[in-house]
Amino acid sequence: MYDKHILSDEGARSVWEDGRKVGYCVNLKINYYRGLPLCCVDEIALTVDGEEVDPETMYLQHNGREYPYLDILKDDFPTDFYWLFGEKLRVVVKKEGGIEQGRHTVSVVLKTRRSYTPTMVAECEKVLTFA
Amino acid sequence: MTTKNHDIKLGVSLYSYQDNYYFHKHDLEGCIAAAAGSGATGIEAFAEMMMPEWPYISDRFVDLWNGWMRRYGVEPVAFDHFSDRGMWKNKELSDEELVERGKLYIRMAKKLGFPVVRVLHHEHIGRGISPYRLTDVKIVEQLLPLCAELDIMLALECHAPTTLHDPVHQQYLDMAERMGMPYVGLMPDFSMYEYCVSTADVGLAVRQGATREILEFYRNSQREAYFRGEPFIYEEIADQVEKMNPSDLDRNFIGRQNHMVGTGPESLEILEQYASKLVYCHGKFYDLDQDGQVDNIDYPKVIQALKKGGYKGYISSEFEGNRRMNDAGWVDEIEYVRRHQELMRKCLAD
Repeated sequence: MYDKHILSDEGARSVWEDGRKVGYCVNLKINYYRGLPLCCVDEIALTVDGEEVDPETMYLQHNGREYPYLDILKDDFPTDFYWLFGEKLRVVVKKEGGIEQGRHTVSVVLKTRRSYTPTMVAECEKVLTFA
Repeated sequence: MTTKNHDIKLGVSLYSYQDNYYFHKHDLEGCIAAAAGSGATGIEAFAEMMMPEWPYISDRFVDLWNGWMRRYGVEPVAFDHFSDRGMWKNKELSDEELVERGKLYIRMAKKLGFPVVRVLHHEHIGRGISPYRLTDVKIVEQLLPLCAELDIMLALECHAPTTLHDPVHQQYLDMAERMGMPYVGLMPDFSMYEYCVSTADVGLAVRQGATREILEFYRNSQREAYFRGEPFIYEEIADQVEKMNPSDLDRNFIGRQNHMVGTGPESLEILEQYASKLVYCHGKFYDLDQDGQVDNIDYPKVIQALKKGGYKGYISSEFEGNRRMNDAGWVDEIEYVRRHQELMRKCLAD
């Protein structure tokens, strides 16, 4: 039961370019006993301080690659890009000004399809300190 | 020094060490070292848990893997297959695509030296559980020629609430016989021999709000029936449970366990009859009691039946207590497996 470990307090921070904040990121770990192809993710819904994050601004970085979040939800997304068991999936939210340094309440709803179960829905909420 | 009177060897499924891996206490090599340190000589692994190169695999990884097998004095015994039919949100994999994925597992097993692939067949936990049609007899039929070419045995995991002699498994064996390709066999998961619910399940349900008193009464009734040598008939205690005012959580728990454990363990006579033809065994356990026994499966009797029936092959520890207990804190998987291997060695020596 890894639901309470989906949100990691490691690596939460603003993302910078040319000396200014252009977004922020949080890291997620999978709540299953094996890694899953990213195409088995049904939804990652992020809420920060009560405000829902626009899925169009989300990018996933994992194992040396980056994917626009909405791409992984498409039929025919490749089946061989795995969200590795125990490894962090970095979710980057593009947002001018990034996030204010300090503590923020983050919650995530994660829906995954597993080979022999219907979509599993998990929620995790934590107060994370963003660097 | 006594003479060995059996051909049974002991392995560990690395599934047992999932928290150690997930929380980065041990990497794959560390988990193999832990299995070897417990006294086991066989390794069961699955790629999606601990082999990040999956679904492709480099020669470099194969060399590393072979090096580990040699360094730790162990051998690959079983590789786990999954049936991800529902890979996309709006579209299922076709049968052809599922066959291709099945072949990926078989080829990778061959590269890494695993003689057995645990196949996630459609009925492994009974019918009607999965919303998808998993690897059924038509798909296995298309995998057998590759198994024959590579000399890989597919193991059908027979898991509670199914049984070894359940017709849902027999259809695969009949098909293999018709094709003249005997590359599929049965693999009992010891969950079939549970005589009561595990303390690990009771603990988890209680932490989620169920009533300890009711669950323990239920568990004790199951145990008493088993040790009296009688089937457990829930209806005989249903009135007493009702008097204890069960909540919905309690009722759901009892309903689920009545389905899984039923009236008691599956027949050990059947296990003995099938033993010489079995291709692999999962030594499932969730918790150990203070005497070092598995708290809800009669290991001495199960292993005796396998010995008497002439089973030749591996029994691997498959510890599943981690996911039932880790909400309450760290579960010492390494110590659980060490004690479980000790128990199985003792059962084999008796």
